[in-house]
Amino acid sequence: MSEAPPYGALVGALMALVVAAFVASVTVGYAAVDVGGAVADIFAGRSSLGALVLTELRLPRAIMGTLVGFSLGLAGAAMQGLLRNPLADAGVIGVSGAAAFGAVMAFYSGVSATFALALPIGGILGAGLAVALLYALAGRGSATMTLILAGVAINSLAGALTALALNLSLNPYAAMEVMFWLMGSLADRSLSHVQLAAPLLVVGWLMILASGPALDALTLGEDTAASLGFDLGRVRLLLICGTALAVGASVAVTGAIGFVGLVIPHLLRPLVGGRPGRLLLVSGLGGAALVLGADIGVRLVGVRPELKLGVVTALIGAPFFLVLLWRLRREA
Amino acid sequence: MADRRHLALLAAFLTGVWPGSPSAAAPARVVSINLCTDELLVRLADPAQVASVTWLSTVSAGSNVADLVRGAPQNRGLAEEVVAARPDLVLAGRYTARAAVSVLKRIGVPVVEADAPRTLDQVKTEIRRVADAVGHSDRGEAMIAELERRLARPAPVRERSLRAAVLRPNGFTAGPGSLSDELMRRAGLVNVAAELKLDNYGQLPLETILLAGVDLLIVDGDRPGPPALATEVLSHPILAKLGDRVRVVKIPPKLWTCYGPSIADAYDILVDAAGSAP
Repeated sequence: MSEAPPYGALVGALMALVVAAFVASVTVGYAAVDVGGAVADIFAGRSSLGALVLTELRLPRAIMGTLVGFSLGLAGAAMQGLLRNPLADAGVIGVSGAAAFGAVMAFYSGVSATFALALPIGGILGAGLAVALLYALAGRGSATMTLILAGVAINSLAGALTALALNLSLNPYAAMEVMFWLMGSLADRSLSHVQLAAPLLVVGWLMILASGPALDALTLGEDTAASLGFDLGRVRLLLICGTALAVGASVAVTGAIGFVGLVIPHLLRPLVGGRPGRLLLVSGLGGAALVLGADIGVRLVGVRPELKLGVVTALIGAPFFLVLLWRLRREA
Repeated sequence: MADRRHLALLAAFLTGVWPGSPSAAAPARVVSINLCTDELLVRLADPAQVASVTWLSTVSAGSNVADLVRGAPQNRGLAEEVVAARPDLVLAGRYTARAAVSVLKRIGVPVVEADAPRTLDQVKTEIRRVADAVGHSDRGEAMIAELERRLARPAPVRERSLRAAVLRPNGFTAGPGSLSDELMRRAGLVNVAAELKLDNYGQLPLETILLAGVDLLIVDGDRPGPPALATEVLSHPILAKLGDRVRVVKIPPKLWTCYGPSIADAYDILVDAAGSAP
């Protein structure tokens, strides 16, 4: 672990990566836009068609991708710290699925049409319930098997309830929309979605980031952490609520994009010397870069109707997950 | 289809009544398991002939005959319900309720399958097909004549034809080779989707449609339907900000989803839009 690069340099490099991916995401699209001219129009206050496409379609998409990617990466690192299990990821263990169910209830019941915040709140309640349940079942570093089984149960229950709710919703597009909630997409997200989710996401991030030092201390064991002055009950509550906010509000506007919180913390863990506290911020940045990259990918491959984002992240993430399981089995 | 015609001819031979004359060959109990054949059945057959229609026809957001079918039994396109209704004839769509249709055919229930027309000529064929099947060919011809009269309204003459695109839920649009495309061209509009390498009905990203330079964006009319992600694209904030650059024309989907008299209403809206400023 001595070869780990300086933390500041790592954060700086990842930020640069996110910025580059963001710019690429705004530049890449289905139709050719003179981006330079459009940006000039925006600053001159001219609402040309190019400027409108940039501010109303591409920018919200890139911002949403960054926010959601950051949330999922951060939440993955937080859950791996909280459950002290390397396989914890919002998608794998059912937190995203439960969030999707919460959002589906809020959306298709019509509540979110009259009260917009109901959508992210539904997602947050679903995610919060799932994290709390998982913690009760598999918290305190219990066997990987218990966590994964609990996750499988929550995931399939949430998926079934989502499909049931959609089928009861009288909505003629229900079959297609199950895919959105289970696989996620950034297509045609607007600034109003960003405004809806962003404040809740930021609160969730702050809660998780605030528990970084405690996560570091927890690697020395609960007793030591407590003797160092950390209130473990409070730390757990912060992590559970923070994860619920970050995952719940993300899934509510983009559907469940899987595996981001699994792949990214694993890739970055060696680079922060295995410190779970430091892993938080870099995982968020890495997640943002991954989701932006995947979203550029779905637009470049030219498959129509557009691939769901979760398809791409699962193509990357699921083999990764298998390799991880393989390695864990060998170590055991 | 062919079997049914043979049966009718056989019946005609045995009874001495030619199938052209109504009521003799007219099936007494007709079940429709497709929204579009529902409309034709209700408009062309006698009310007593209607054994059941799909529940979709009773929902006024998607049906032109919601008022007419009130009181008629409903089905959900399941073979079991259809068999229980003991129909003499089942009207189905070529692409819907396939499992039910195959079961019905296997147990010998006469089924007439209507195709989804892509041209106005095919619309007339389908109207004739259903009218003949329910034993009211004359009503079918009258419906076609009225449709032809209304579609004869000339397209507006102007220096530059307006460029238009259809935007439907989930970003679907109407490309060349669709009935919507033929109606648009007949009304004097240029269908932008034709330039975007798209056949029939396909999905297009919002930015592609907008940057292709459209004067008219044809969207579904206000529908009070249940919440759906699919319809969110139609209320994307960018559409409100386009200002007078792009004009939004609303056509309720029920007017031109099916092949009945209502496509003339859709045509009227298109001609009005094609002739308007800018």
